[in-house]
Amino acid sequence: MAYHAALYVFVFLPACLVVYQAAPQKHRWKVLLGISWLFFYLISGKLIVYLIGTTLLTHYTGIWLALLKEKESRAKEHADRAEKREIKKKYQKQSREVLAIGVVLLLAVLVYLKYYNFFIENASIILDWTALPLPLEAKQMVLPIGISFYTLQAIGYMADVYWGKIRAEENIFRTALFLSFFPQIMEGPICRYADTAGQLFEGKSLAYENISDGYVRIFWGLFKKKVVADRLSVPVCAVFEHYGDYHGAVIAVAAVAYTIQLYMEFSGCMDIVLGSGKLFGICLPENFRQPFCAKSAAEFWRRWHISLGTWFKTYIFYPVSMSGIVKRWNQFGKKHAGKYVTQLGVSAMALFPVWLCNGLWHGARWSYIFYGMYYFALILMGIAVKPGRDRILKVCHIREDAVYWRIIQTGKTWVIIFTGELFFRANGLKAGLSMFGSMFDGFDVGQFWDGTMLNLGLSRADLVIVAAGCIAVAVVGHFREQGGTVNGRLGKAPTPVRWFAYYALIFAVLIFGAYGDGYQAVDLIYAGF
Amino acid sequence: MDKILEILREIDDSVDYEKETELIDGHILDSFGVITLVSELEDEFDISIDAVEMVPANFNSAAAIWEMVKRLQEN
Repeated sequence: MAYHAALYVFVFLPACLVVYQAAPQKHRWKVLLGISWLFFYLISGKLIVYLIGTTLLTHYTGIWLALLKEKESRAKEHADRAEKREIKKKYQKQSREVLAIGVVLLLAVLVYLKYYNFFIENASIILDWTALPLPLEAKQMVLPIGISFYTLQAIGYMADVYWGKIRAEENIFRTALFLSFFPQIMEGPICRYADTAGQLFEGKSLAYENISDGYVRIFWGLFKKKVVADRLSVPVCAVFEHYGDYHGAVIAVAAVAYTIQLYMEFSGCMDIVLGSGKLFGICLPENFRQPFCAKSAAEFWRRWHISLGTWFKTYIFYPVSMSGIVKRWNQFGKKHAGKYVTQLGVSAMALFPVWLCNGLWHGARWSYIFYGMYYFALILMGIAVKPGRDRILKVCHIREDAVYWRIIQTGKTWVIIFTGELFFRANGLKAGLSMFGSMFDGFDVGQFWDGTMLNLGLSRADLVIVAAGCIAVAVVGHFREQGGTVNGRLGKAPTPVRWFAYYALIFAVLIFGAYGDGYQAVDLIYAGF
Repeated sequence: MDKILEILREIDDSVDYEKETELIDGHILDSFGVITLVSELEDEFDISIDAVEMVPANFNSAAAIWEMVKRLQEN
């Protein structure tokens, strides 16, 4: 039962709302936990043990850290300043060890399930050269759905308790709900305890506005997924699965089509997720903010999969930037290498682990590692050329906020994004490189109108529907970029206009959704990560 | 406080730091700007800024940065 399934939208969610509202307010969070575990059991069966194990480990690591903090404050009560410093040092060391145990255990499970076979595969290639036998064999691994998301959320919780940003949760079932809230368990967003826990435990009564806003958002997500993304899946599969048969403009079109498919699918799923939360009065954090308006690769990642980027920034980028080795380099660099080289070095040291983890997080494939390194190189290059670029803009009197300059920058960013997604979707790094090369082989602009694009599985009518869907999404994005929401505007519109828009959305999903002959049901892409 | 304004102006001199209260929330200072700022603050005020301090509330305005620096100097 995925989020875009009729069973989820029309049966599961309404049933949950009834049970939730029927429960007394102080017990509603328990109902949410029961529903969340039931949902996880329905999609993952006995793999729920991993979720329960993660909950136990996360909760008790939090409690252990809280106990150490308590002991530290008691020890500091009658100490002088020097003693306090020593006490702080002692307990900081102990807390760091406890945090390390929790993080390492959580990551060990994730790494074993996700990367074991990748390691075996590559180790055997290396050992083949040296003629040494490999005592390990590849195994059939079953990855629990959502493990990459809830593991990061659990690590974030433990780190926040360690840093003292939040108090450790004392009730294990509340920790369990924070980690397993059913709308976000499959694809995120990766939430922070300080942002969502309070709302989860509040047990707000159902409200007409929340249900109406929630269901409109859910249908908007279904529109993106069923009308645009699933339709685009047809040509994308045709080209990426048989890339040897295509070259030139077709490969470029496939890369663009996949980028749109992925955006419509993932952001559409987030609309369903956020809409589902909204039904219960719970506001989960936004995961997308008009990414195609970005004017650089760095800005794109501040607008795309925001919760993952924020997680990496908070728990990898900043801690690495503040680590001893980076600080030592900073001191050394300022004395011996100059400000520019020092800052470039700091950026490289802090960004490398972020982008390596970003690539690996998506899966155990060299193409994902390449994808991470691609953005690492581009963002670092952006930092390296910034002083020179700023000087050129000044000399040439080019204003960064000029419309023509923004269009050029956005266009450049689109090329970067489409190229990245080509490698991301390709069946391996070798296939990605081959596709990238064949894009320049016999590139013929005439292929755009000579009917070639109609041989990829979509009819002219399909292409019109996709284009109309993209325009609708772009218009909504434009309103959001201006600081408003379409839902907010609709809320102020006369009742007949509002209901016409709602019905139009529902019927668009039902009539123009990619169902039936010629289309295949497409699983949620990010649920596989 | 004047020293903080000076450091901030070295990073980007197009902002009115005496009035601005959304340096982070308004995306005026990006992560790299914050890292540069942290490094300069550590040198100038002989303090150590840990990752735990990296929250918008500590960097949203020159006054907030000054409060953080004073707190860390006292510890």
